[in-house]
Amino acid sequence: MPSPFLTPGSIAQANDVALLHLRRDQTIPTILRATDSEHDGYKEGKVSNTRFGSFPHSTLINQPWGSQIVASKVDTGSRGRKPSNKRKAEELEASATTTGAEDDSSSVKKPEAAASGFLHLTYPTPESWTLSLPHRTQVVYTPDYSYILHRLRARAGATVIEAGAGSGSFTHAAVRAVFNGYPNEESATKKRRLGKVCSFEFHEQRAGRVKEEISEHELDGLVEVTHRDVYEDGFLLGDPKTGRSPKASAIFLDLPAPWLALKHLVRKPASGIESPLDPSSTAYLCTFSPCLEQVERTVRLMRELGWLDITMVEVNHNRIEVKRERIGLDCEGVRGATVFPKSVDEALSKLLTDDERAKRLRQAHLEGTRVNPPSQEDIAGEPKDQSTPTYNLGRLVHRTESEIKTHTSYLVFAILPRDWSEEDEQKCRQKWPSDKVEEEPKKATKSRKQQKKEFKELRLQEQKEEQEEKEEQATENSEA
Amino acid sequence: MHSSIRPNQFAVIQLPSDQTRIVKLVPNTFAANQVIGRPFFLTFEILDAPQSDGYQLRVVPAEELHAEHLIEEAEADGEGEEGDSGAGTPMRTNRTIVDDASTQKLTTQEIEELKKEASGAGKDIVAKILESHANLDKKTAFSLAKYTLRKRKKYIRRFTVLPLDVSFLANYFLDQRDAQRTMELRDEHVGLLGCLGNVHHGGESTLDAIPTIKPNGRYFVVDETGGLVVAAMAERMGILYPENEDEELESTDGAQEENTEKKSTTSTPRRKRPRPMSASGNTITVIHAYSQPNLSLLKYFGYDINTPDESHPLHTHLKTMSWLQLVDPSADPILSNEPPALSAEELAELKASKRTAYYFKRNRWEKFRAVTDEARAGGFDGLIAATLLEPAGILKHAVPLLSGSAAVAIYSPTIEPLTELMDLYSTARRTAFINRKRDLEVQKAPGETVNLAPLFEEFPLDPTRLLPPTLHTTRVRVWQVLPGRTHPLMTGRGGAEGYLFHGVHVIPAEASIQAAGTFRKKRKVETTSTPVSDRDVEMTS
Repeated sequence: MPSPFLTPGSIAQANDVALLHLRRDQTIPTILRATDSEHDGYKEGKVSNTRFGSFPHSTLINQPWGSQIVASKVDTGSRGRKPSNKRKAEELEASATTTGAEDDSSSVKKPEAAASGFLHLTYPTPESWTLSLPHRTQVVYTPDYSYILHRLRARAGATVIEAGAGSGSFTHAAVRAVFNGYPNEESATKKRRLGKVCSFEFHEQRAGRVKEEISEHELDGLVEVTHRDVYEDGFLLGDPKTGRSPKASAIFLDLPAPWLALKHLVRKPASGIESPLDPSSTAYLCTFSPCLEQVERTVRLMRELGWLDITMVEVNHNRIEVKRERIGLDCEGVRGATVFPKSVDEALSKLLTDDERAKRLRQAHLEGTRVNPPSQEDIAGEPKDQSTPTYNLGRLVHRTESEIKTHTSYLVFAILPRDWSEEDEQKCRQKWPSDKVEEEPKKATKSRKQQKKEFKELRLQEQKEEQEEKEEQATENSEA
Repeated sequence: MHSSIRPNQFAVIQLPSDQTRIVKLVPNTFAANQVIGRPFFLTFEILDAPQSDGYQLRVVPAEELHAEHLIEEAEADGEGEEGDSGAGTPMRTNRTIVDDASTQKLTTQEIEELKKEASGAGKDIVAKILESHANLDKKTAFSLAKYTLRKRKKYIRRFTVLPLDVSFLANYFLDQRDAQRTMELRDEHVGLLGCLGNVHHGGESTLDAIPTIKPNGRYFVVDETGGLVVAAMAERMGILYPENEDEELESTDGAQEENTEKKSTTSTPRRKRPRPMSASGNTITVIHAYSQPNLSLLKYFGYDINTPDESHPLHTHLKTMSWLQLVDPSADPILSNEPPALSAEELAELKASKRTAYYFKRNRWEKFRAVTDEARAGGFDGLIAATLLEPAGILKHAVPLLSGSAAVAIYSPTIEPLTELMDLYSTARRTAFINRKRDLEVQKAPGETVNLAPLFEEFPLDPTRLLPPTLHTTRVRVWQVLPGRTHPLMTGRGGAEGYLFHGVHVIPAEASIQAAGTFRKKRKVETTSTPVSDRDVEMTS
């Protein structure tokens, strides 16, 4: 079965995991099932109950992804009766191709259902899953994992090691990044390397939970979860000593003490066992640690073990809210608006009218007569512009959302090139002999000056090319 | 991605000063043959005299690259211990050091001469300079380390060969070329844009027995960064780099390799040529504003849009179309002029040159017709944009062509275009839209279809079709990590902050009811008497 995370198709099918989008940041993950033993007792089969009403899954299954679904009236009080609505669900599935008929069958409930609300049925993505998943440990959020996966070069067909599966947010993002086909016999015979995530978790219960989730999300074969203490036992799949090497090119360590795991991530482990790294590719590593002390120890060991290009960064991410801000004396009673003069001119006219009114009041007081209540125009200053709808009034402003994450973790990146032995070098020299190029003896003694010159020339050439490109474009444009 | 340096490809040369250059490694030139075939990320030192077999490079081991830091770290440990035993040694500071030219006793001329004579790739020079630096013993360990590091970077003749990928290219344009040209796109934007857009490989539908109601992994891209965004998305989808052949290349010897090379250049059977833009799934459809797309940066990945390499995955998986072809194909000069299909006999009568011209025109028309029909049929899995165009216009035309639940991700270097877009999807506007639409539906005569034209005059975009519109900004801060001196870098690049708009395409329920026919109208009135739209306000605020 294809996973809705990777290849959702166009309609939601039974047993797919779906996300029920209620409102911003309120999404409920659920497995779509017409009937479900856990939820037995509802007449409608499996039902998701939300703050916007109850949604029998029979109204969700076979709907196009992204559909707006109206809540149904579900008797939540009297459960335990014989589920008679199985028939209805079947009917629904049968008539799903003709949308008209399907509408009819559920329309019996619609009038009352609409009162409680609706939701949107969306397929899961690592992003929406990250926001709705059950928290077990610190979650690696989208801004972090998107950057990490990009820097780790975790691309279609790569193998990623993840240690500390935790809540599984990174696992899902990583499997999407490396996915390039589901494993089956045909693809195995075709010499194409399939992307894979090898996930290690130290905590037995959490490892079990991640495994279950992976199965529920139909990602079996793409993610391999191992319950393992990687500090002690390393990263081989199966048996820690004799198991298969995952042959990874990207490693993500979300561990409290990454330096204890680094000794296993070498090209030639001291104990003589196989290296978990892919011998034919560069290894990219990232560690995720909240404290500087952890970073310093990790970096130090990385340097000793020969990792290169070591860099440490942190990712600062904010969400921004956009609003219309209305200020003015004419906003009395408008929701969200501030009643205050919007300009000096408005303030002036307000001061003058107030003064006028005070004068009149005083006069009336002296004369002992009553004053007419001020007319509409006196208050508003100038007549309201009725032609502009309210959603278009006011100034567009933006600000950072009220709650921000000021620190997630420090990310340490490092690179380990392929092993390069003297033997390899000799082979390579035979293949690419340097004496084939006698005709260019000048370059043989390349001084820094010459290098510089060469680069200059190259640059000039590039600039020329660019110029030409631009000109070409310009002519094209003018032709167009 | 390839792990070793391959002939005829672009690679990056990084100098000790962190300056980088993009070079194409043409085999059988001196410098290239010394590095081709070796793994990426190795650092080479240029020897002063070539070895017996003509090689003049030495691979610098990692310990040597890290020497400075390793010594420092050891020192830091030592200092800690001293501090424990006795505080007698006074702490050295930079108090008495006067920084002027007089402290350096070697003149520039002398240094230049040294450079000419010296052996050991600059190490001697560094040592000599350090020797002659008068105040050297006054420097603290830290600044001494810094000083040597700096001097070494200046004089040592080393370079590192790096693979040219999207991440590098983005940084290269940012730091060393015209950042505006790539809209100041940074690594963190590229990563987030791809994730928010849910861009990934669509799977091999033929292999994987995916129930194919529609092909998977089709993305719209609007790219005004010269092809960087297309390259980034192609990289995610596994179609940016030519097929992985380097492992095989490694094992085969030179003769065989030459053979295959010849084959590929001379005689590719004509029939088997893959037709351009012919892939059905895992594709990128670029919509461009001028008659030709500007994707010139793809040349760094071996794909020139004007003279495409037919073996490159982008040849079949990258489709391009102009906005005119998408929005109004009947007005497009290519699409509207279908070259008449000629029969075999008619073709045989034509002159060779005319026949070629005919094939060219016919194929071009068929290609664009297919791309246009497929695009206008919709069902795309995402929309990614980094553009100078106004975002609202793009969404107006592209959102209806997305499948349900597909993501929209738009990058802008500045926030204003995106705040305006956010406002077009504001809750107040959505409520007004729903009410207005309902009014129109109630007003219409029975049997008529609802005329929604006045609605879209007032609302350029349907605000009910994208949820939940969100605006992101992200920035990476780089730190230096050294024992006792860990802190963020003191300076960095300013410029555009960079913002991302994200939303998910949803299908409002009203649409399906409306399409179901007239008898439903009555019920429609009934149902809407319950405050669906009022709910909407509350729910999505």
